[in-house]
Amino acid sequence: MKPLPIALVLLLAVAGCGGGNDASNPEAATARGPISLWYSNNAQEVAWGKQVVQAWNAAHPDEVVTAQEIPAGQTSEAVISASITAGNAPCLIYNTSPAAVPNFQAQGGLVPLDDFADGASYVAARSGAAAAQYTSPDGKFYQLPWKSNPVMLFYNKKAFAKAGISTTAPPLGTYTEFLATAEKLVSGGAAKYAIFPSPSSQFFQSWFDFYPMYAAQSGGQQLVVDGKATFDSDPGRAVAGLWQQLYAKNLAGKEAYTGDAFADGTAAMASAGPWAIAAYQDKVDWGVTSVPTQSGSAEDQATFSDAKNVALYTACANRGTAWDFLKFSTSAEQDGKLLEMTGQMPLRQDLAGAYPAYFAKNPRYAVFAAKAAHVVEVPNVKGSVEVWQTFRDAWSTSVIFGKQDPATALTDAANKINDLVE
Amino acid sequence: MRRQPIGMLFSAPYAVFVAAVFAYPLGLAVWISFHEYIFTAPGVSVPRPFVGLDNYSAVLTDPAVRRSFVNIGIFLIINVPLTVALSLLLATALNSAVRGRTFFRTSFYLPYVAASVAVVGVWLFLFGSGGLVNQVLGSAAPDPSWLINENWAMPSIALFVTWKQLGFFILLYLAALQNVPKELYESAAVDGANRWRSFRAVTVPGVRPATTLVTLLAIITGANLFTEPYLLTNGGGPSGRSASPVLLMYQRGIEQGHPDVAAAIGVLLVAGVLIVAGAQQLLERRQR
Amino acid sequence: MRWRPVALTLGAIIFLFPFYYMVVGSLQARPDSSPAGALPRPGNLSLNNYREIDAAVNLGRSLLNSIVFTGGVVLGTLVFGVLAGYALARLRYPGRGTLFAAMLLLQVIPFQLLVIPLYVQIVRGYGLADTYLGMILPFAINSVAVFVFRQFFLQLPGELFEAARIDGAGELRVLWSVALPLVRPALLTATLLTFIGPWNEFLWPFLVTKQAGMQPLAVALANYMSTVASAATNPYGAILAGACFLAAPAVLLFIVFQRHFVSSDLGSGVKG
Repeated sequence: MKPLPIALVLLLAVAGCGGGNDASNPEAATARGPISLWYSNNAQEVAWGKQVVQAWNAAHPDEVVTAQEIPAGQTSEAVISASITAGNAPCLIYNTSPAAVPNFQAQGGLVPLDDFADGASYVAARSGAAAAQYTSPDGKFYQLPWKSNPVMLFYNKKAFAKAGISTTAPPLGTYTEFLATAEKLVSGGAAKYAIFPSPSSQFFQSWFDFYPMYAAQSGGQQLVVDGKATFDSDPGRAVAGLWQQLYAKNLAGKEAYTGDAFADGTAAMASAGPWAIAAYQDKVDWGVTSVPTQSGSAEDQATFSDAKNVALYTACANRGTAWDFLKFSTSAEQDGKLLEMTGQMPLRQDLAGAYPAYFAKNPRYAVFAAKAAHVVEVPNVKGSVEVWQTFRDAWSTSVIFGKQDPATALTDAANKINDLVE
Repeated sequence: MRRQPIGMLFSAPYAVFVAAVFAYPLGLAVWISFHEYIFTAPGVSVPRPFVGLDNYSAVLTDPAVRRSFVNIGIFLIINVPLTVALSLLLATALNSAVRGRTFFRTSFYLPYVAASVAVVGVWLFLFGSGGLVNQVLGSAAPDPSWLINENWAMPSIALFVTWKQLGFFILLYLAALQNVPKELYESAAVDGANRWRSFRAVTVPGVRPATTLVTLLAIITGANLFTEPYLLTNGGGPSGRSASPVLLMYQRGIEQGHPDVAAAIGVLLVAGVLIVAGAQQLLERRQR
Repeated sequence: MRWRPVALTLGAIIFLFPFYYMVVGSLQARPDSSPAGALPRPGNLSLNNYREIDAAVNLGRSLLNSIVFTGGVVLGTLVFGVLAGYALARLRYPGRGTLFAAMLLLQVIPFQLLVIPLYVQIVRGYGLADTYLGMILPFAINSVAVFVFRQFFLQLPGELFEAARIDGAGELRVLWSVALPLVRPALLTATLLTFIGPWNEFLWPFLVTKQAGMQPLAVALANYMSTVASAATNPYGAILAGACFLAAPAVLLFIVFQRHFVSSDLGSGVKG
């Protein structure tokens, strides 16, 4: 075996191929012509995407938009990242996760919307005060805040009734009540687990157990503020303490689960956004309430937004058209259609006031619209995914598996995260 | 020794394939591991300074990475011997059983064909807290249960992979067994060897090249472990006790945007496998 | 002592049960994850999971894509892989050691390490996004199969080749009419193991094909399983149905070809 010559060949190959870079096209902000876009692949969003593209194309025969689905899920960030590197990303992706934006930006893959004359003002006018959470550290918008899925607590009325708990005003407001209810549900055999968020170590899983409750408990604080982790604090420790008890008493599942534990009755509660209404419709008779806080939940407390945004990618040649289409697809009319067809909340100020007819007809969505005014986003910081992974690993070791004191784990994680974001 | 230059012609397509498809990404990966590097859009230039062994020292001092290499060691110690022994045993049995041969062969091949996503669900059904295995074991079941137990998570994965891949290795042995001359068994029988003796004296030496192959491939498959800890133990849990180097590469390189760190893990992993494989070859040669 | 049937039957149960469970689960109308769910209950059986897949995925088109993708890989491996394997095992020529080392190295490299540079090279360098060739290229010659071929050619007695060469046969002739017939089981094994790689491969075709019309079955079904299925009536059943559907062609192929595993010339080894 002679590995040495191969290594040489390979290094030569690198030297030969490494250099070729195409020139970028910075003056494309006003260019017009055909563009391409990707949208998410769930049936409702596909239907919405098809109609908006059709409506645009009918009116703009010279600036045709072609659209296709990209698969959502864990791998969509890998696809986008690879396309940025290869230079074949589409103009617009209607499924850009805010947590991935700092990475895509560092790759040079995103166009700041401030490049357009009315860019920043459009975002601010549409989303109002909520827009501030989506600015990047350099003060620019690399994403258009598009739609949120404010996370709330779903509960299974049948299971609650079986355990003899009120189904109209269940005692879930404080941590003490929440724990007592959870124990009642499980000990009475109403459900195997009280609640079953995925216990997986994927970086984003804390968005559905820790973060909504932390947002509520801390009065709407992000995980990182001004370059410092905020969760090594009383609210952070309180939320961790609650979940640690849930896991220690086996009220929450620790193992992987295939399928949806809430939909098939394995868990009596779930934290999810309005997208879940359609998914649970025919399976569970559910009610919805705010997540608990230590001293009792309130109507206007904050929660995690679970937003998906639209970003404009640098591979786009006809950025003028892309920007026009972006505005067209996030107009009051199209936002209304999005709400109607998908049940997800456009990130637009005074949602309830803008679409009164819809919410009068669909009262189950109205609670989420009210919540949409109080959403907290993931922090837009360098190394966002790494920050969340660090947090998740600490959470998993201490809270889920009880191998470490949660308070110590939170302190350690906070120190590491402070180093990461500097 | 006579030379046969026509061999160059025969292996040319494969050599071209290796060079055209893999030389560049592989060389780039090695290069990346010595630099501070991120993937960027065409035309975007960011500084990519040479950092020497910084990425390597970062990786080697990272307890999570070190743990993942220990994990893979545990995995290999369980998986490789088990795979070799079971697949040879079952292949020998399959080779002779005339009745129901089709049925048996097909059943051993099935797990290899089935998609991991689905099979993982079945494994959870068996090895989950309230699963079949624990119900049979009763109070002898480990607590916490297999997949969320620090000491059992990795062995459980090793067992799962052995089971999933066994059909493939049985096929390799089945093919190898066809080339063991029948006369050897006959003369062994004449010498009065019982079945176990002739298995040891004829079958095992007869399929030795296949054993080398099976061992190497099992080591390689093990070193590339990714899907199982990702799906079965919740992304390498509990507390990283079933995380594999490739899982960390996926997290660091693809999710977190640090291809430099991921490349360093990858290069270390490749070096590790080559050392293990080389040691195994040496051992085997000495035994002969 | 009849250990063989016992060992085989025990083994078969262990190996069949999960598959059996998969099939039963895919036919359930409502999910039943309790141990009792392993038995089919007449009241809870339906083909609904399969119907929902049929409605969401263009099965015919995906199947065709899978066949082209897998077929290309198998063909490339059989033609060029056998040539390379034979040369590596039986011929002496400059560069053999290097190629062998490269082959070993290639198998050791985790795909996660190469995937983005490989993507950039094939999509930007060669312009092969959304093409069958782009899908096939990284898998075109399966290195494991080359390794298997080499190992089996090595196993054949050397005198066989010397005799043929003394008779004046060219190397291609020796390979075709002496070596190949003797390693037929190995060819078949390599085909089956090469086949399953691209058949189940998700990440690469997923990256290369953005158009749904180009996606092979594994990608279309994985897509379905990860997103669409959660809205299905029985999400877990839908996942299992997808897995059954993906596995069925591979299992069929295996059943059809497995009887050729035993080479007729060398007999079937030990009689039990």
